[in-house]
Amino acid sequence: MGPRKRPSRGPGRSPGKIMDQPDAAAARLTDLLRERLGALLLVAERPQPDTLRCEVAPAGVRAAAGALAWDAGARFLITVGLDVRALGRGFAIAHLFSLDAAHLFVSLEIPVDAADARIDAITPLIPAADWAEREFRDAIGVEPDGHPDPRRLMLPDDWPDGIYPLRRDFRYNARPPAAGGRPVLADAPPGASVLPMGPFFPTLEEPSYWRLFVEGERIVGCDYRGFYNHRAIEKLGETVLGYDKLPFVAERICGICGFIHSTCACQAIEKAAGIDVPARARYIRTIMLELERVHSHLLWLGIAAHIIGFETLLMQSWRIREPIMWLSEAISGNRKTYGMNCVGGLRRDISPETAGKIRETLDPVEREMRAVRKAVVGDTTLLARTKGVGVLTKEWAERIAVVGPPARASGVAIDARLDHPYAAYPEIPPRLCVQQDGDVWARVVVRLDELEDSIRLIRGALDGMPDGPIRAEITEPIPAGRLGISVVEAPRGEAVHFVLTGDDNRAYRWRVRAPTYPNLQAVPSMIAGETIADVPITVGSLDPCFSCTERLEAVDVRSAAMRVYSRDELLALSRRRGSQGGER
Amino acid sequence: MTTGALQVLGLCALNVLVAGLLSPLFEGMLRKLRAIVHSRMGPPLTQPYLDLLKLLGKEDLRTTGGVLSALGPAMTLGSVLVLAMLVPMGAPPPLGFAGDVIVLVYVAGMGAVFLMLTAFASGSPYAFVGGSREMMLLLAVEPAMAIALVVGAVKAGTLATGAIAAWQAANGPSLSTILAGLALFLALQAQAGKLPFDIAEADQEVMGGPLVELSGPRLALVRWALWARQLVVACLLVEVFAPWPRLGLLPLDLALTLVKALVVLVLVAVIDVVNPRLRVDQALRYYLRVGFSALAALAFAVIGM
Repeated sequence: MGPRKRPSRGPGRSPGKIMDQPDAAAARLTDLLRERLGALLLVAERPQPDTLRCEVAPAGVRAAAGALAWDAGARFLITVGLDVRALGRGFAIAHLFSLDAAHLFVSLEIPVDAADARIDAITPLIPAADWAEREFRDAIGVEPDGHPDPRRLMLPDDWPDGIYPLRRDFRYNARPPAAGGRPVLADAPPGASVLPMGPFFPTLEEPSYWRLFVEGERIVGCDYRGFYNHRAIEKLGETVLGYDKLPFVAERICGICGFIHSTCACQAIEKAAGIDVPARARYIRTIMLELERVHSHLLWLGIAAHIIGFETLLMQSWRIREPIMWLSEAISGNRKTYGMNCVGGLRRDISPETAGKIRETLDPVEREMRAVRKAVVGDTTLLARTKGVGVLTKEWAERIAVVGPPARASGVAIDARLDHPYAAYPEIPPRLCVQQDGDVWARVVVRLDELEDSIRLIRGALDGMPDGPIRAEITEPIPAGRLGISVVEAPRGEAVHFVLTGDDNRAYRWRVRAPTYPNLQAVPSMIAGETIADVPITVGSLDPCFSCTERLEAVDVRSAAMRVYSRDELLALSRRRGSQGGER
Repeated sequence: MTTGALQVLGLCALNVLVAGLLSPLFEGMLRKLRAIVHSRMGPPLTQPYLDLLKLLGKEDLRTTGGVLSALGPAMTLGSVLVLAMLVPMGAPPPLGFAGDVIVLVYVAGMGAVFLMLTAFASGSPYAFVGGSREMMLLLAVEPAMAIALVVGAVKAGTLATGAIAAWQAANGPSLSTILAGLALFLALQAQAGKLPFDIAEADQEVMGGPLVELSGPRLALVRWALWARQLVVACLLVEVFAPWPRLGLLPLDLALTLVKALVVLVLVAVIDVVNPRLRVDQALRYYLRVGFSALAALAFAVIGM
């Protein structure tokens, strides 16, 4: 990969941060942790060249996380809660970090005693870990001590206490009885009233429940309850699906960036198993990933326009997008959810005729996209609605570890395609599209820039695509106990997949972090002080995808007692709710 | 006397029928225009009539009791139809009298007030926000509209709408009336609830605002009132600020007025399709500027330009 300029990571990071290649970075990081932790650093090893796995005693978790985040400048990715009692240990918590400049992943693994399942929370040090720590509390049952907001995150409110769905002894199809809990909602500040946005709201196509605390039209705070879309995907990946089926379910995590998730899952497994993917498969993956970015960004542009009432732009950008969908159908047989990825490569090749079709389709798309860009950039009303709106400062973007276009629009120079190159990106590096203003307009510009760059990348991949097989021959079973961390730059930001291989041809633990997961956590800082009118476009400018974020755990809980309301009862009920301003 | 009374009644009926029965057709044409700009087929021209019929045939579901929420929609439509009788359409306004410009300005605001009251009576927080936005817009748009009409009154030296229109038809345009007409045209954008000023209804922000709790027949009445209002205000604009040519024959003059109103509404719709929605504070600042331009027109009128 060629050299590139990387702006400084802002205040709060030490100047001596690690800025070199994985080997040297890993060595220096190990030295740093050994110096800070002494005997508390139990293990430091390199399962892969780009991964450093450190095992740290529970007493050292905050010191280690602090050293990583603040002294080494590592970016928090996600936390994985592991139930390793079956392997003769207790539980384990793995905080994953990325040293972007050094192209290195760090897994900070802490053993937790099964009899006393608690661990020091790192959220007070690293606010980005907020949801991640609440999630392992819900799913594995390890209590993060000192967490500032230890409410339920992903489990339904009527889920019984003391049942943890991601523990290995919980059957994937178990249905515990409903416990009748109520959501724990934050109180509105005095003098403010509550305006509910959700659980169903016209511009957020998926359920998410924002409670806006407003004084008149001005937002003074907000509270979020989400995770209504759980589909038990991770649990299925660990209990039911083998490696042969897992990529197809991974593709169904998201209806827009499905190929991203299947690629990311395959890469994690391939990395853990040490499988070399043939070059042609890497190039085709790149083409599909970038096609997905093109149609996703055009889709987003339309939705964002719709949110501020600009239906003409919605209709036109979706019209421009349509040929890309037809193209996907010509390549894979499906407009979406291509089913092309498998561990070791691909199931479907791109023929020379299809390659020609891709080139033919890209020309008009590029031309019309430029016309739209010209119209958008000159629209004063559009500028009035997006400039200076929903500002996410660079400091906050780094603190919450925001990823993707929202991060780049706030001046944070990260892009998984450059930081942890995969597929054909080492050969055809993308352009890093960065803006400094951090407002909605900056996010529009970043995505418009990326659209053009994606088309360039697709053409580059078509030109450079070598002949050869599209799938590696896998003869040996994938050994158990191997670790694989993979990232893919989705249109919305970086997706992270963590795989710990297990026996019987399936993953022992599969963890997925969608890009919306960190990005949504930045919303409170973005909408504070804005007006109600700006909230939908601010949330929309993140290109949120709730179902990917909430992929984790869903077991259908039907309440034991069903009640049938009569028409009059329902009317009376809705009137009462209505007059209470939507409050429960 | 009797013939006079009959004539007034007949004209009243004519204006109400035009406003009531033709406004959905105008809305249908505007929808078609939007569809063309969107690269869509669009619904048939008669779709608004079908919408009304369907909604009127539905059950009247109410989220709240109370007289205001029950009668508000009907009163909204009623106030717009009264406005129709105060506006010249090919003939002097049927309910016109000396000083009716002042009444006209008040009646023009009544529809918005009734809609606001309906919203506040519904108890929904979205309707509440939408209602307060409607009120802010009303307070910003009404002065611009009133000053524009006063410019006409100053030029013609009368406070009767019909007489102002007649004076305009006889004397032709002047700097001040062109400016005032422009201000009224800009006010029409908000009066018709079109982008970038459909802030009160803003589906994507407040889910239809005042309309959120309305369904069935009451939604039909409010929709109808909004369509009728855009046609009536467009007629007012072309009659007072562009009445030429006057043919002197009621059917021809009426047809001409409607064609001119359509042209005005097409312009409004074109502005609508090429703009996103403004925030309410931005809209208020915009109409403050429109109000000042109207004031400038008034100053020109006073010095005889």
